[in-house]
Amino acid sequence: MDFRLTEEQEIIRQSVREFAAKYIDPIANECDENKHFPMEVFKKIAEQEWMGIPYPQEYGGAGSDYLTYVIVIEELSRADAGIGFTVECHTSLAAFPIFKYGTEEQKQKYLVPLCKGEKFGSFCLTEPGAGTDAGSAQTTAVLDGNEWVLNGSKMFISNSPIAEIFIVFAMTDKSKGTKGMSAFIVPREAPGLRVGEHLNKMGIRSSLTAEVIFKDCRIPKENLLGQEGQGFKIAMHTLDGGRIGIAAQALGIAQAALDESIKYSKERVQFGKPIASFQAIQWMIADMATDIQAARFLTYHAAWCYDQGLPYNKEAAMAKLFAAECAARHTNRAVQIHGGYGYIKGHKVERLYRDAKITEIYEGTSEVQRMVIANNLLR
Amino acid sequence: MLKIIVCFKWVIDEADIKVSGKSRELDLSRVAYKISDYDRNAIEEAVRLQEQLGGSVVAVTVGPPTAKQSLKDALSRGPEKAVFVSDPAFDSLEPAQTAAILAEVITKNLEYDLIICGEGSSDLYAQQVGPRLAEKLGIPCATYVEKIIIKDKELIAERKMRDGIEVVSMPLPALVTVMPTINTPRIPSLKQVLGAAKKPVVNLSAKDLEGKYEPCLKTTSLLAATMERKRIKFTDDPQDIRKVVDALLKEGVIS
Amino acid sequence: MPGVWVIAENSNYTLELLSKGLEIANELNEKLVAFSFGNEELANDYISCGADEVFVLPALNRELPFEAYVPLIVAEAKKEMPEAIIVCATQRGTELASRVAAGLNTGLATGCISVRVDKGNLVMERLVFGGAAVQTVICTTRPQMAAIPPGTYEKAQPREDRRGQIKVVAGNVETKVKVVERRKKEQEEIDLTEAKIIVSVGRGFEKQEDISLARELARLLGGEVGCTRPIAEELHWLPEERYMGISGKKVKPDLYIGLGVSGQVQHVTGIRDAKIIMAVNTDENAPIFDAADYGIVGNLYDVVPKLMTEIKAALNK
Repeated sequence: MDFRLTEEQEIIRQSVREFAAKYIDPIANECDENKHFPMEVFKKIAEQEWMGIPYPQEYGGAGSDYLTYVIVIEELSRADAGIGFTVECHTSLAAFPIFKYGTEEQKQKYLVPLCKGEKFGSFCLTEPGAGTDAGSAQTTAVLDGNEWVLNGSKMFISNSPIAEIFIVFAMTDKSKGTKGMSAFIVPREAPGLRVGEHLNKMGIRSSLTAEVIFKDCRIPKENLLGQEGQGFKIAMHTLDGGRIGIAAQALGIAQAALDESIKYSKERVQFGKPIASFQAIQWMIADMATDIQAARFLTYHAAWCYDQGLPYNKEAAMAKLFAAECAARHTNRAVQIHGGYGYIKGHKVERLYRDAKITEIYEGTSEVQRMVIANNLLR
Repeated sequence: MLKIIVCFKWVIDEADIKVSGKSRELDLSRVAYKISDYDRNAIEEAVRLQEQLGGSVVAVTVGPPTAKQSLKDALSRGPEKAVFVSDPAFDSLEPAQTAAILAEVITKNLEYDLIICGEGSSDLYAQQVGPRLAEKLGIPCATYVEKIIIKDKELIAERKMRDGIEVVSMPLPALVTVMPTINTPRIPSLKQVLGAAKKPVVNLSAKDLEGKYEPCLKTTSLLAATMERKRIKFTDDPQDIRKVVDALLKEGVIS
Repeated sequence: MPGVWVIAENSNYTLELLSKGLEIANELNEKLVAFSFGNEELANDYISCGADEVFVLPALNRELPFEAYVPLIVAEAKKEMPEAIIVCATQRGTELASRVAAGLNTGLATGCISVRVDKGNLVMERLVFGGAAVQTVICTTRPQMAAIPPGTYEKAQPREDRRGQIKVVAGNVETKVKVVERRKKEQEEIDLTEAKIIVSVGRGFEKQEDISLARELARLLGGEVGCTRPIAEELHWLPEERYMGISGKKVKPDLYIGLGVSGQVQHVTGIRDAKIIMAVNTDENAPIFDAADYGIVGNLYDVVPKLMTEIKAALNK
């Protein structure tokens, strides 16, 4: 057993930290305050080749592995969880299904620009009436000659306001239930595709989320991804990997909360001593650090399973469940340690506290993760 | 076609240094290491010159075997080859030794038109290795350089001095030490990091050196810097501010 | 008698080193030797300020840099074998010292913040790790060499009764390095290192125009305005020679007043020799308060006018 990262992974972690200090830290508060999407930062992220890390170089990716990708998401999220998430959603949810299920032609046409960071990708599964119960989706796709015609609407779609490539799940045969769902690649310019207004979220406000509406939206027949009826399986397989990414995002948020808490508790003086000298604070810090280390090992292990070609569905669910709850719990404690200052806008822990919550919700709520884990154990 | 050598040092990241209590002793047990800050500017400048003028960049470092970690980091920043001179005894070299070892290694193993060093290292900041190396090699040098221009076999360098800018020219081969203001080092891209492992590294040890390089300096102590200050805090209330002004008067620093 | 040598690129810095050199020479029981570059008149000044002997080196052609003297100094040192060489650590001085040390195969401590003599050794203190630690070194070879930044010591004062020898050193000054241009600093000539009171501008200032607040306070106190590195190098609100820190000016005023200065270690290193440090910052946890004697927690825009009112009242201005 070897817990050491490779030299390359260490260097990449340092380079993301350097990048974050230079380009993200100075703007993170402003992005949060004004729900601003920092396009200029993503141009630079693309130059760093961080938009398609785990995919082969022949498809425009960096040809690295999932563990390296997870480290990048962790470090980006440590500076700004919205930026980390945008890269995660793009890589794990939009690029992955094309990489795994796409034809060679689809990969050349859609995966390459995604991995190079020339275009953003988006993943459209959730609907106003179908969240955790994704199988009850109402969006339909009907073959009309050489074209699929999509109708319906998708809710809370991350990256959609800037995305140019949408992975869309729609029912091709409602009578078959989840087996009647299919996946499609929909380009931005497809007629009948409309993206709603950028939603005003509680956290990860530097990322973009909106409704996506399909009204007689027509795409070529060959834009079916995988086989007809394979959609639900593709969605679930994609989310398995996405969960490792969200675990990494949660990990970054939790680590940032710990960093801030350590710094603050050493500087803040009460009763004539830094508050770090009080046992109440020390225990909080010790618990935070221990949980974060555990979350890190779960997350890295899940990524390692992915890289080794081992099953990772349960591992990903465990990592996401634990890391997300760890982030939510410890950003709460970080605010507690900061007292009144932590409740004021502009303090990083206040932002972290809001950012953490979503990690317990998206790409499968904590309840869904428990279901997945239990199914693995009890079936 | 310019043959460039860039020298760099693998140093303790000073941000990780902890101080153990009142003894002022430094706790280095959990420090991380990095390429010395200004040496990154040196590497960047070497790579930029190579991009402009063609040629080659070789990165050279001297240090203990653990400094091996630095090689991929340095190579990911653009040089095409590294030379690593290591020995367990090289963990606390002083500048005279480093410069002498570099001089022997460079003379025996490498061709060059230009050698670039950082103005000083971010750990010891002795600012000596560059000029000492030039002296040992018998080549002209310019220290504290903010801008480099190369024309044919001539180097023009802008040196930032206390009293202004001094522009100097000299024939190649030459050595320069660069200031952090000379450029902004790029952050290596992912493929550059992954590609570093494929680049050649020449490993040399103390056994490969003819010279015995004894230290000329002895460190007798290394302690945390302290400042004795009164550390009295006041509010912004006018009465408090008056107390501060009274204190300044009493100290005799305003009149 | 081999001697203690002092070498600096101009006469002011030479006089500073002479005051320390005199002390070192006495303790080592050595003669004190100063260097004059192409100027015999200065030799007499150096003698009256403590030098037992002055080596007068040939004047430089205008196109040669100060470091061109290296070979000549190395050759002289090989003949005379001085016990110690102390060089003024300007950039030119540091390069010269390093190359002389390399030529003599001896040790050199650069950037010394203090030098004393113990059992025949110079005990030299210098800051390392970005100012976080102090390294104390001695030199095990001879001559032992120290490079000390300008402004560390007061200039030596002349005395009528001092006598000394002048030795003219002949030789060719040659180098492959030619100076093609010298651009003096264009900005107003102020020397923060000489200021008795410095009002320092930090990131707490919101706009460049607001620096007038710092200027008013400085004018009232008869001081100068300085700043932190970001103000000069990133925002360019003040010229570079006004920033203090490990890579900027190292100052030693009687009073330093930091306004909206957070107190990064790199900045604090530049002001550590201030007699009194006072700071105004809104963040009561700002590290500057650990480095300050008197701290006011408050907004500088509110505090500075109040402070000026109080100072005027106290000083009857």
